Amino acid sequence: MSDRPGPYGHVCRAYDDPAGFAAGAEEFLRAGLAAGERVWYVVAGPAEPVRERLRGVDLFAQALLSGAAEVRALDAAYTTGTVIDPAGQVAVYRAATRRALAAGYSGLRVAASCTDLVRTAPQRDAFARYEQRINRMMRSEAFRAMCGYHRPALGDQAVAELACLHPGHNVAGLRFGLYATAADAGHATLVGELDPANHELFRIALDRTELQPVDGELVLDASDLRFLDHRTLIHLSEHAQQRDARLVLRGCRAGTARLAALLDLPALNVEVTR
Amino acid sequence: MRTGPAAGRSGYFHEALCYASDDELLAVTVPFLLGGVAAGEPTFVAFGERTAGLVRSALPAGHGIEFLTGGDVYARPTAAVRMYRQLLADLVAGGATQIRIIGEVPRVGLGSTWDWWARYEAAINRAYDDWPLWSMCAYDTRITPAAALADVGATHPCFARPDGRHVPSRGYLGPESFLRRNPPMPADPIQADPPLVELTDPTAAQARAAVHRVGQGGRLSEDDLDDFVVAVSETVTNALRHGCPPVRLRLWAAPERVVATVRDGGRGPADPYAGLLLAADGKPGGLGLWITHQSCNHVTQRRDAEGFTLRLTAGRPPG
Repeated sequence: MSDRPGPYGHVCRAYDDPAGFAAGAEEFLRAGLAAGERVWYVVAGPAEPVRERLRGVDLFAQALLSGAAEVRALDAAYTTGTVIDPAGQVAVYRAATRRALAAGYSGLRVAASCTDLVRTAPQRDAFARYEQRINRMMRSEAFRAMCGYHRPALGDQAVAELACLHPGHNVAGLRFGLYATAADAGHATLVGELDPANHELFRIALDRTELQPVDGELVLDASDLRFLDHRTLIHLSEHAQQRDARLVLRGCRAGTARLAALLDLPALNVEVTR
Repeated sequence: MRTGPAAGRSGYFHEALCYASDDELLAVTVPFLLGGVAAGEPTFVAFGERTAGLVRSALPAGHGIEFLTGGDVYARPTAAVRMYRQLLADLVAGGATQIRIIGEVPRVGLGSTWDWWARYEAAINRAYDDWPLWSMCAYDTRITPAAALADVGATHPCFARPDGRHVPSRGYLGPESFLRRNPPMPADPIQADPPLVELTDPTAAQARAAVHRVGQGGRLSEDDLDDFVVAVSETVTNALRHGCPPVRLRLWAAPERVVATVRDGGRGPADPYAGLLLAADGKPGGLGLWITHQSCNHVTQRRDAEGFTLRLTAGRPPG
């Protein structure tokens, strides 16, 4: 996996040096301006020094004047408090995206330094749930985002918990991703490799994905899933059972189907398409 | 009511039939099968093509005996256990008071992979003991090596003789004693060469990547390679979790097979049935090793003073 924008432009950028994040964020936003989007640069500290610096930077100078680009402090863009309100924050961005469209832009693109929103475990749990909700929102709204996380402040485990929920990220060694790829809450996409080394991380990610059964099914698109072990299959079945649903792994490798057949799990369907 | 020599017993009555001619095979098999049908007992044959043909030609028309396809039934020992346990459970649920089965290990199983069939023969004494099964395992003494015949005696509590007698096996060890033996692990010929890959304390992901590298290029079918990746991943995971460091993965390849050894400094699984049967008490590692046995074409093991080695073979084992 890489930090290329994913299929709907939700990218996690973990960084050690704040200057490194700024460079990546500005490149991300510049691409948005070039595509006719309104862009927000959401910064952790005071907005004015950043705004001042960008006034001297080619494309941003004009955009700041026209309103195509805005630099916002974190608490001006997020429903900050001790813990984010996932649904409320999605509503904020949905409304902002629609305002951008109404103003003639092709969408809204945000690069946000989110570290201060996820410093504690409860903050992180709520923000992770927001990340999946915003994944779903992006399927129907012209909204793209880059989420920046300062690794030295958060630690590798916390960054991994958040990065795995993004279609694109730059976290080396993170071997799976789980992110919504449909607007409804019954679908998500599972990519990469799952084994005991990341099982606990996956368990947390699956809980935070908050899949809701649609017609009695939770569907995971597994067409880019390279490997999963029997523990993961058992966990998926149990997860579905707890929600009175069946979990459908769609697009699996035939080997995964053979493994699932050995286990004869009560709430798991494996559909092979390759 | 059970019929025949198993009358009055509960559970599994496991006999070996060692025959030296086709006439001897038929002398036992035909009355065994027809007796089952006459008693209203579900009766099965799981032979290879040649011996199944012999038996068919010796049976009367409309005999009512079901022939299982030997090649599928006995593709892997653990697959046979799985299939038979399901079959027996279904038949007993349907009211069967005894089930009769005569089968044979495929001829290829009498060669370099015999050791896991011998372990199968030992383990089924327990695996099938939940049901009123009378089975015979047929061995042609003209083609079965002497060492394998000794294992047959050690794993079958009784012999069915061509003269109609049922004789206790003097060499019978009982399944746990047999499975706790630690016979030598003859090297696969390709192990004479240095391994293509040798990794110390690999992660499961690194192990999988190594298997993909070695197994590609047509050495294995896509399905065999996928299953072998699962097997190696499970084995390395078990070694890292339940064994002692260092864990060493070595891989060799020949045109139609890939061999992996996973060695660690521990003693290996304590459960003698590990890999062959699912642990009833859900002991850790049991499921992974069982899956490994379902996902390879040969699994063998060896414990020595320095540690425990599991060798896995995908593709066509040596002849």
